[in-house]
Amino acid sequence: MNSYDEPTLQAMKNVAYNLGEDKSATFFARDTQIVDAHSATSAVEILPIEIALEKYEWLRKLSYSLVSADQDSYVEEVANNPANLGYFIRVRAGEKVVLPIYTCYLIDSSRFTQCTHNIVIAEEGSEFHLISGCTSNVHAESGRHIGVSEFFIHDNAIVTSTMVHSWGKEVEVYPRTAAYVGKNGTFVSSYVALGSVKSVQMDPKAIIKEGGLGEFYSVIYAPEGSVFDVGSTALLEGEGASTQMISRVVSNGGHVLTRGKIIGEKSGGRGTMACNGLLLSDKGFIHAIPELVANNPNLELSHEASVGMISKDELAYLMASGIEEDRAKSLIIEGFLDLHIPSLPEYLQRQINALVEETKVFDTI
Amino acid sequence: MNTNILDIANLHVAVGDKEIIKGIDLSIKKGEVHVLFGPNGSGKSTLLCAIMQLPGYTITEGSVHIHDTDTAELTTDAIANLGVGMSFQYPPKIKGVTLRRFLDSISQSRDLHSSIAALNMEPFLERELNVGFSGGELKRAEILKLYAQSPDLLLIDEPESGVDIENITVISNAINTILQKESPMASRERSALIITHTGNILSTVHADVGHVFMDGKIICTGNPLDIMEDIKKGGFSGCIQCIANHKEKQ
Ligand SMILES: Nc1ncnc2c1ncn2[C@@H]1O[C@H](COP(=O)(O)OP(=O)(O)OP(=O)(O)O)[C@@H](O)[C@H]1O
Ligand SMILES: [Mg+2]
Repeated sequence: MNSYDEPTLQAMKNVAYNLGEDKSATFFARDTQIVDAHSATSAVEILPIEIALEKYEWLRKLSYSLVSADQDSYVEEVANNPANLGYFIRVRAGEKVVLPIYTCYLIDSSRFTQCTHNIVIAEEGSEFHLISGCTSNVHAESGRHIGVSEFFIHDNAIVTSTMVHSWGKEVEVYPRTAAYVGKNGTFVSSYVALGSVKSVQMDPKAIIKEGGLGEFYSVIYAPEGSVFDVGSTALLEGEGASTQMISRVVSNGGHVLTRGKIIGEKSGGRGTMACNGLLLSDKGFIHAIPELVANNPNLELSHEASVGMISKDELAYLMASGIEEDRAKSLIIEGFLDLHIPSLPEYLQRQINALVEETKVFDTI
Repeated sequence: MNTNILDIANLHVAVGDKEIIKGIDLSIKKGEVHVLFGPNGSGKSTLLCAIMQLPGYTITEGSVHIHDTDTAELTTDAIANLGVGMSFQYPPKIKGVTLRRFLDSISQSRDLHSSIAALNMEPFLERELNVGFSGGELKRAEILKLYAQSPDLLLIDEPESGVDIENITVISNAINTILQKESPMASRERSALIITHTGNILSTVHADVGHVFMDGKIICTGNPLDIMEDIKKGGFSGCIQCIANHKEKQ
């Protein structure tokens, strides 16, 4: 096993990358250096993207097919980056991998731009759970992380992808994620960001085929000085395709745009969207932008959004039982952010909850 | 030494610009249980909310003392921590916070096993606080909250409204337990102010003093069972008549 210094271990811990935990495969990169990429099971293949692209000719066709290399300046920067940092993960047909696959990107040097390109393939009928942590070391306050991720989820496959961010105050983050979800496939994307960052801008997309399901969850705590522009887009391309988007956002001075877009194409498509925001301070704002596009009459698409402050009645009720004001607010906020993600395995949900518990920085309320 | 847990003197309370409580004097001794009767909208809940200094209730005149401490400058949590617990008439839902989490936050590691069992609340511990609770479940959860807080003064707002007969017994027994009713009067530390419409609770919970509350004032004080009998016979209009007759005699 590799040995890591104390700040690195702490950074890893902040994104749930626990060395002791059982994993089916791991990938860990510091700045542009891949420190660890190995799999404990033949069901999971994990390789540095550079090696995988050399090894598999077919992969070159998939590369930048979901996220176009000229989509925007950030993707261009990744596509042209000489470091060719990234991972390739493939889970073989029919394999149900119980233990999670952990990946972690760490920005170790200040003012460093980390470009990554990941390709994840779930072969037909496979199932696995990916947890990706992205973080910066305490001494690396500034930097940029630009991550392109392409998910190919074949028919009847199930993939949950949980992305946990923990950054320094001056870090800018531009994830570019897209997923293809085959017939009756499932893609569950969860995003957790509970701390400081300069800005995060992302809008992961899923193209969902017949009977497929795409779920998007995000839990965001935006402190003062942070800017989040976070959305998700689902294209219901097949009959009976469905999607669910839920986001919970707390702004304590941070600027938050929370978007959701569902585009229905074929009959039987269903989509729901719920965005709830809690605004703690008048220094911040929350702007919810839900969009529904129906190109077929036989669709059920709906959204609900709410933005408000902590309810005075709830606060008074808790205080009337002897809980002091700050503690009562924390309880309400934690409860608000406690999102139950039905498609996640129980142990993963527990881990996320523990993470929320550990990384919460509500002291500035 | 003042043995009163609660002393209210000439209390006036406004909600917004409207005066709801129009001058009340009320003292509750250690170990005493008082009940408040009164028609809808007379200001009973407002009185309890004002004692807790909940937001929106402004004390415009008079004072409230708990254990001899003037509460005028205190926040709601500080008042609670003087030893006051309030069972709400309409408790709010708190999403994402389980009943267990809430109880843990207020119980100061008191063992609640037997109280949870007595109130049949085990199935609700992992539920979000008050979310989707039925009328009776809400009331039981509120009483369980009082167990957890273990206050010296219980303010209980209509413990039996919307509750079926069996659950009224469960709730009444629980209130008796909190009030240490099995101990002799002299050794009881806890007191209560209970709002009741029906008086049903009085068949199990012994009350020492009854008050009739009307239009923001206490118009009559006496034996709670006698008062309840009179209200059952003549309604609250009977009380008004009775007071009028009384005044004439004087
Ligand atoms: N927030 C408020 N805004 C306006 N009026 C209020 C408010 N809160 C209470 N009131 C008014 O104060 C009066 C007393 O209300 P309160 O809830 O104290 O009555 P109550 O005696 O507890 O009645 P009930 O038996 O129906 O519970 C009512 O007329 C009510 O409408
Ligand atoms: Mg009332």
